[in-house]
Formats: sequence, C-alpha cells, structure tokens
Amino acid sequence: MSAKPTLVSVVHSEWIKFRSVRSSVTGVLLTLLLTIGLGALITSAVRSHWSQSSALRRATFDPVSTSLSGTLFAQFAVGVIGVLFITAEYSSGSIRTSLAAVPKRLHLVVAKAFIVALVVIVVAEVACFVTFVVGQTIFSGVVPTASLANGAVLRSVILAGVYLTLLSLVGMGLGLILRQSAASISVFTSLLLILPILTLLLPQSWQNALNRFEPSQLGQSMMSPTVTANTLSAWSALLILVLYTVVVVGVGAGMLERRDH
Amino acid sequence: MISVSHLSKRFRKTTAVNDLTFDVRPGVVTGFLGPNGSGKSTTMRLILGLDFASGGSATVNGQRYRDLVQPLREVGALLDAKAVHPGRSARQHLRALAASNRLATKRVDEVLELTGITSVADKKVGTFSMGMSQRLGIAAALLGDPGILLFDEPVNGLDPEGIRWIRDLFQSLAREGRTVFVSSHLMSEMALTAEQIIVIGRGRLITQGSVDELTAGAKDEVYVRARDARALEDALRAQAVAYRPEGPGFVVESLDAEAIGDLALAAGVALSTLTPQRASLEEVFMELTADSVEYSATASERP
Repeated sequence: MSAKPTLVSVVHSEWIKFRSVRSSVTGVLLTLLLTIGLGALITSAVRSHWSQSSALRRATFDPVSTSLSGTLFAQFAVGVIGVLFITAEYSSGSIRTSLAAVPKRLHLVVAKAFIVALVVIVVAEVACFVTFVVGQTIFSGVVPTASLANGAVLRSVILAGVYLTLLSLVGMGLGLILRQSAASISVFTSLLLILPILTLLLPQSWQNALNRFEPSQLGQSMMSPTVTANTLSAWSALLILVLYTVVVVGVGAGMLERRDH
Repeated sequence: MISVSHLSKRFRKTTAVNDLTFDVRPGVVTGFLGPNGSGKSTTMRLILGLDFASGGSATVNGQRYRDLVQPLREVGALLDAKAVHPGRSARQHLRALAASNRLATKRVDEVLELTGITSVADKKVGTFSMGMSQRLGIAAALLGDPGILLFDEPVNGLDPEGIRWIRDLFQSLAREGRTVFVSSHLMSEMALTAEQIIVIGRGRLITQGSVDELTAGAKDEVYVRARDARALEDALRAQAVAYRPEGPGFVVESLDAEAIGDLALAAGVALSTLTPQRASLEEVFMELTADSVEYSATASERP
C-alpha cells in the first residue's frame, strides 16, 4: 500500500501534465525567444539611432527597461501558458477526470498555480538576465549602460521576471473563470493592450491618476530602476500586481470550487 | 457499494434527477438503464462529486466522494472516453493520474497491458480511434485497482470484438467482488452483461431488480402452429382463448404451452410448433420507459 496522496502528489501529477503537451514547451520557448530575441533587436535599433537621438531622449533614456523591452511581447506568451494549462482541461473534458482523481478542487488550483509559477519564473528570470546582459553588451561603447552591481538595476531585472510570472498566473485565473481558451486569451490581451487605450478617453488628470495602475504600466514600474512622474515605485507596483493576481486566481478558484462539472 | 438516497439535481429549468434512491451492490454487474436524457450521466457525476446535488445524497463505501483521500483506489470511473488532452500520450495521461493518487508507476504498464493498448501507449491520444479511447478510459478506471467501477455508456463506438471484451471484463471484475455500475440506453446490451438492472426515466426510478425479476413480470406468450390451421383456430376459439394470428400460426396470450398442448390433443389437432415466447428485456424496457422518453418516437435511433 502506497503512502497517502498529498498536495505534493498533485503537484507531481500536474508537472507530468505540463511537460507532456507541446503547447507548454512552445510557450516556454516563445517566452525565451521573444524576450531575448526582440530585446536584442530593440537594443540594436536604439544603438544605431543613438547619434540622431534628441537631447530629451538621451536625458530620459533608461538602459535597463529598454534592454527588457522583449518582455512586452513575452507577456502574451506567458499569459497563454497560464490560460492553456486550465482551458485545455475544459476543452478536452479532462477536467472531470482530474477532479475525480483530486476531489479537493483547491488542491488542483494550488498545484497548477505552483507549476505555472515555477516554470515561468525560472524561464522568465533566465530570459530577463540574458536579455539584460545581451542588451548592455550591444549598448556598450555607444549608448549608456547599466550594471547589475547597482542594486536598483538588479531589482529591476529580477522584478521583470516576477512581472511575467504574475501575468502567467493572471492568465491561469482567467482560464479558471472563463474556461475557454479564446475568451481567456482575448480578455488577457485586452487587459494589457486595450485598457491603456480606453483610459485615453478619460480627462488628462484622471489618466495621470489611473494609468499607473494598469497591468502593463505596473510592469514598466517594476522593471525601471528609477521612479518617474505619475508612476508607482517598483515595490508598490509589485504589491498591486500581486493583489490583482490574487483576486483573479481567487475568483477563479472560487468558481471552480462551486461549479458543476 | 454505492448508495444513492433521495438524490435530486435541478438545473435552472429542468429536474435532471428526481428523488432517486438505490443501492449498487458488489459482486454483480449492475446495469443503469434509461432513454437518452433520463439523468444517467448526471447521476454518475453526482456520485463522483462533480456536480452538486440539489437534495439527497450519494455515497461510495459510506463516504461522500469528495471526502475520499485516495479516490482512485476506491472508485474508478469512465465518463467520456474522449475526455483526454489530445496532445498527450496515453502513458503520460495515466502517469499523471497515478501520480495524483500516489499509485505505483508500474501500475500504468499493468493497465496498459490489461486493456491491450501497450503498443500505442506513447502515441498521442488525439490519434486514437473510439475503441482505443474506450480502452484507455477503462485503463484509467482500473488504475487504482478500485473496488467500485462506474462506466457511462462504455460500449459506444466499440466494434463487436471490443464489446465482447468489455462484457467479459465487467463480468470478471464483478466476480472478483467489485461493484460494477454500467449505464446504457441499450437494454439488449445490458441483458447480456448485467445481472441487476436499475431503470430510470426523466430522472425518476422506474424499477430495479434482477434481469429475471424484470422479465418475469412481463406477460408470456406462446407461438403455436398446426398443419391444419383452421382446426387449431376452432379449438382455440371454442375454449375462449385469447390469441392473434401471426404468420401461418397463432400467438396465444392467455394459456401456457402445456395447456395449449392439452387443448390441441383434446381437439385432435396435431401441432407442428409450440414455442413459449418470453418477452425480452428490451420489450420490458420499452414498456417501462414509454412514458418517460423525452423526445418521442420520431427519432429513429430511439432504442
């Protein structure tokens, strides 16, 4: 007779599920490729145009967040990783098999969240550190560079990976709430892209007050070593994004707990 | 042992399961019969804790399913054979399930072997035929070597050889002392597989009992034929026997074969055929559920 199953066994089970489908592997590779590849592309472009850049541009230039620009694209890849890890269970119907094997539904949510967070944080941190180093190397000699020896810089690079990780959990939470891949990915994309456009309809003073709370703006705050006007400090931004994540995943978990399957 | 007691499930507008009470005992195959849409699948989901009951309870081995610590060791279920991520291999699907309940990994190889899908174990499930998917679903149900097994319409999509295999498997599982609960909308299939039958219609219990008990209640008829049909008919009419002509002979509704033999002898009629016709389980089922078929008989696939 084997030992009693615990949350750890559920995590193990979810790990087997995660690594045994192609979409997870694709998502991970895409995250690396987008962060590092587009980071290199963007930093190269900045370098080649640097001589023609305005004085203002040069004065406000941030080599850290610029080298992390690839995360703006990778954030959709990690969102899809989170979404699909849930919605694939619904679209295939295997959610019933999963819940019959693990009737404690919250265990299933915790295990899935753990796997998504673990995979994405490892991948995203690797991607962010690599793209930072690659970016600074491309900048060196022409464009001002930053060093990881600077605490604020190190923090920015780390929090860029944390930002991607939290977004993947938001994607997972949306998947739990909406249960459909297309709907969840649309909402996820809207939160990052459409929300900033919608706030443009508001009066300028409102925009200044609200923009800083948009998920994508929180990301910018988290990966910038300096605080600029109308943005939050990195730690405040982190706190608020954690709050968003907890709410979305919490609502999703509550719905899973109460719903008929 | 599965115990369902006053179980009800209401969805927004419909009542899918209505005050259902029955026990499913170990050691026999119990058939769960009802027309499509009669609440069989909902009842199974309620037993597995996937749906929440509106009233009453369903327990397995005296416990609510959701309270089971190692559910796969106690209950194995096959609800929908196609409900597996199409991009995952059969082996990985079973490994993930085994890990969730801390079952030995070698058990995965055993059930693959048992269900005859070892050779396709590393293929993506999306490429499986219905028959292979059903076998994988059964492999998953057997994974924890459970004492209780639930199968929802397991023969759907199987070829004759697969149906025979599944029938033998159910019976051998029951012989090992397990509780085997199998739903179907095909009475003819259940007549061959199940010993006990529970019939529901529109979410309500219609009847339950052994196959013999269910068919015993139905009226028996005798087919009788003589070379001299006219003489036989006269003899039947003379004794005020209820009968109807069928082909070259008659179906007698109110006498048993022995009495008909006596009657014919007394009348000097030589019989060429005398066959008791027991109503089939299928006919009993049709009769029982006639009132509860949700979409009436215009649909040709109706059993």
